[in-house]
Amino acid sequence: MSDRDAALTAALDDLAAEILFPPTPLLADAVVASLLEPGRGGWWPRPASLARALVLGSAATVLVVGVVGAIGIGLGAIRINLAESPLPTPVGSVPDRGYGQPVSMEEAKNAVPFEVRLPGDPELGDPDKVYLAPFPSGGTVTVVWGDRPSFPADDEGIGLVVTQFRADIGPETFEKMILEGTEVESVTVNGHPGWWIEGGTHAFFYRDASGEIVDTTLRLVSSALIWDDGVVAFRVEGAPSLEAAQRVADSFR
Amino acid sequence: MYRSRGVEGCPLSDIELMERARRGDVAAYEELVRRYEEVAFRTAFLVCGDADDARDAAQEGFVRAWRALPRFRSGAEPRPWLLRIVANAARNRRRGSSRQAALGLRLAEDPLSGGAAPSPEGSVLAGERRETLLAAIERLRPEDRLVISLRWFAELDEAAMSAVLDIPRGTVKSRLSRAMGRLRDEVGPDV
Repeated sequence: MSDRDAALTAALDDLAAEILFPPTPLLADAVVASLLEPGRGGWWPRPASLARALVLGSAATVLVVGVVGAIGIGLGAIRINLAESPLPTPVGSVPDRGYGQPVSMEEAKNAVPFEVRLPGDPELGDPDKVYLAPFPSGGTVTVVWGDRPSFPADDEGIGLVVTQFRADIGPETFEKMILEGTEVESVTVNGHPGWWIEGGTHAFFYRDASGEIVDTTLRLVSSALIWDDGVVAFRVEGAPSLEAAQRVADSFR
Repeated sequence: MYRSRGVEGCPLSDIELMERARRGDVAAYEELVRRYEEVAFRTAFLVCGDADDARDAAQEGFVRAWRALPRFRSGAEPRPWLLRIVANAARNRRRGSSRQAALGLRLAEDPLSGGAAPSPEGSVLAGERRETLLAAIERLRPEDRLVISLRWFAELDEAAMSAVLDIPRGTVKSRLSRAMGRLRDEVGPDV
């Protein structure tokens, strides 16, 4: 490099240090809002086959996992990740695994910043167990019923599980990890968008604001109906069919 | 602000975030946008010459990139790929605008250069030299102005410049060399 070139390069370095760009706008929030905005082509990377399925479905859309590869779909605080096995490995831990600490319904209601709602289905009656977990922000209330005629208990004596947590938990999410063979159906629950997840293998876990999986249970669960009314996110597990799960959801009071 | 962490509590790398984003992780993509929003905005600004257009182009580019994630090559550095998409969005906006693209940059009024404080006369001379050089860059052809600005003001490396300009890396070198030659002629013996 000649002296002249070196001088010019040094002068450019000096100039660059004093150059003022217009202030950088904060783009991330606007970008994420665009991704989540309905009608913008969806906010998840999706192959054409999945896009076609979503467009064609009028009342309900069925996604058959395994042909669409690894994608994610979302519903407020709940994300559904469709993935090939194996399940992700949890990297953190929470003090109370599973559903959380057993509490009374009164204690649960006093502990969370949202109204705890229960299904009014007379067959269910009062819940057998109530649990409170400290995550995500605002906490989670899980209500469990044992064996009921329409909701036969599994090996652990659990017939039906209803879980509730705040829907506006920001970067924290509950996630369903869906593996091959599971069907995910888009449904409407009490006027709100939801998903019915059935068959195959799927697990449920909590991912904190830093993106880490902290619910180490990674429970393998049966069919589940999940929805989000904008304030509270709900999950009903254990119903033998979508119709049965919808009946439970319709009876919420 | 959301920060993604790896298993050891360290921030995730850009490549790791990109992998998560490819699996549909919006939070990971949001973190990537935060990391790249400044260089993306500045690149878009240099391409289209207008702050509002640059903001819109950068935002549009990030949204387009999200949709194009299935086509992103796994394990590759996301920076050049993202900047290419943002630059294309900025070029489209520049084409749709009647404005004459100009550099539109200005100098800090109170230079922050390190080292010993220069004398008042020295400060004036240094300031004049910078203004002369910036004015000379403004007089260059748009192609020369852009390649120099990307290298020195947006501080892009060769790979990113290649992506933004959509030319091979070897061509980046030769184009930069020619632009520097013309800048040298433009400033004359003053710098």
